[in-house]
Amino acid sequence: MRHERIKYFFLLPAVLYVLALAIFPLLTAFVNSFTDIRFGSTKATFVGLTNYIKPFNDYRFYNSLYVTLILTVIAVPIELGLGMLLAVLVNRDIKGRNIIRSILMIPLFVSPIAFALMGQVIFYEGGGGINGILKDLGLPPIRWRSDPLIAKFTVVLSDVWMWTPFAFLITLAGLQAVPRDLIEAARVDGASEYQVFKNITLPILTPVLLTILFFRIVDTLRLFEVPFTLLGGGGPGIATETLTVYIYKIGFRGFFFGEASAVSFIYLILVAAIISVLFQAVRKFYV
Amino acid sequence: MSKSASIKKDKLIKDVVTYVLLAIFLLLFIFPVYWTFITSIKIAADTFTSKFLPFLQFQPTLKAWLGQMEVTENFKALLNSTIIGISSAALATLLGSMAGYALARFRFRRVRNIDIISWFLGLRILPPIALALPFYALIASLRLLDTHLAVILIHTAFFLPYAVLVSRDAFRSIPIEIEESALVDGCSRFQIFFRIALPLIAPALAAVFILTFAFSWNEFLFAFVLTDRIAVTMPVYIAGTVTTVGVLFDILSVRAMLAIIPPVILGLLVQRYIVSGLTMGAIKG
Repeated sequence: MRHERIKYFFLLPAVLYVLALAIFPLLTAFVNSFTDIRFGSTKATFVGLTNYIKPFNDYRFYNSLYVTLILTVIAVPIELGLGMLLAVLVNRDIKGRNIIRSILMIPLFVSPIAFALMGQVIFYEGGGGINGILKDLGLPPIRWRSDPLIAKFTVVLSDVWMWTPFAFLITLAGLQAVPRDLIEAARVDGASEYQVFKNITLPILTPVLLTILFFRIVDTLRLFEVPFTLLGGGGPGIATETLTVYIYKIGFRGFFFGEASAVSFIYLILVAAIISVLFQAVRKFYV
Repeated sequence: MSKSASIKKDKLIKDVVTYVLLAIFLLLFIFPVYWTFITSIKIAADTFTSKFLPFLQFQPTLKAWLGQMEVTENFKALLNSTIIGISSAALATLLGSMAGYALARFRFRRVRNIDIISWFLGLRILPPIALALPFYALIASLRLLDTHLAVILIHTAFFLPYAVLVSRDAFRSIPIEIEESALVDGCSRFQIFFRIALPLIAPALAAVFILTFAFSWNEFLFAFVLTDRIAVTMPVYIAGTVTTVGVLFDILSVRAMLAIIPPVILGLLVQRYIVSGLTMGAIKG
């Protein structure tokens, strides 16, 4: 095509913007991660790999790693499974599909902070929310926010509420892209519903499910708002202290920018590793 | 029983199971929002009970809503969120649609198009907290802490990849012939972009704008780190509510409703575009 030069005029503003405001700060952080810089002080000494070694001697780092991974490992499959189930149900020939779809979409637009606020009422242990209903039914209250184990469950439940609609909507779009006549032809040839699902629907759906997994894993690994606000800074104790909450505390409570940056990069490497391992494993499985 | 009767019976059972399951899930997914809403129209004493049917079980009241209408901080936070949301959505939509056009209509050689696209998609895995620290230092050194501009700048950077990838998809779906004949007629690339291509993808562009607005409206970490008193957005403000309001659940619920109503309404307006918006065009909706 002609006008070779002008294409840069269209592309570069966005690229430069992201470089200046995301990549440049990230590079600064990388440099900082090798120093003992603290916010507000002008002095910074090179400390080598100290900041990268320090977390590995801190039990809270391991704890936040564990919390983050366990929440991801539990929440994401539930969201994927429930989302698929809902998509299959809504994709059937049912009445009121559009209204059901709209209602299920609502949680996607509720900010995690607003949910954390709603959670103050819903998970209030003295009654009013779920515990109030349990009391009416003659059941004992649940310690949603004060029991270390149940608090993790509360975070999972919140994430499932907020993000199952994501898995649902995208799976539904994928299901609607499966050609109907292909399925009908298979049925005429005597294929069972299970065979149709396994041999036609699932292969077509695979990229869709991988996309959901990608976005959900990336987002769950950065979980912050609900543990931070609803559970009071990753509480009780440090039971729901995710990596992001942990880094936040080092960086913005202690202002140890160097150390916090180092942990951020360890975290970034972890995310990249998980994503690439996932894609390798899944590719082998399907191709 | 004849075969067709048994197929009919089979379908009936499946239908019943479908509707029952859907009803249960709909109730579960609507529960938190419904509960927050009814809590906002209860008198304080009722907020600790599980009464959930207004008029039948409890007398609804607008007391908390009317009381909150007099709290200026509510409006300040709503206004801040609106200013920041509109500005960053406009900036992201403009820059994003330009880059999306370039990626849809031109071929880049030194760095191939697919690599540029992957780069934008790859930005999605950057942890916000990793950006928040250096960005805070940058904004502090520019003496821009607690300004609208600070939040607008970072929100635009963070949501720009969405705008690029979704608008690229939209441009690719419109025929190139109109633009080519305009080029033959002597139109400049800018005229073609602003007068022909952009209007053709107006619906998708509106969706990009609205979704970016909603993302910005709901974003917490950056806004929380960068603002303090003047430029606080709705999420930052209501997060503070937890400590200042405590267990005044009726007030808490009014503020939660104020935070969720605008993005939910906007989101439902553009639901047709949501799938490509949420997956950055990786899956067609």
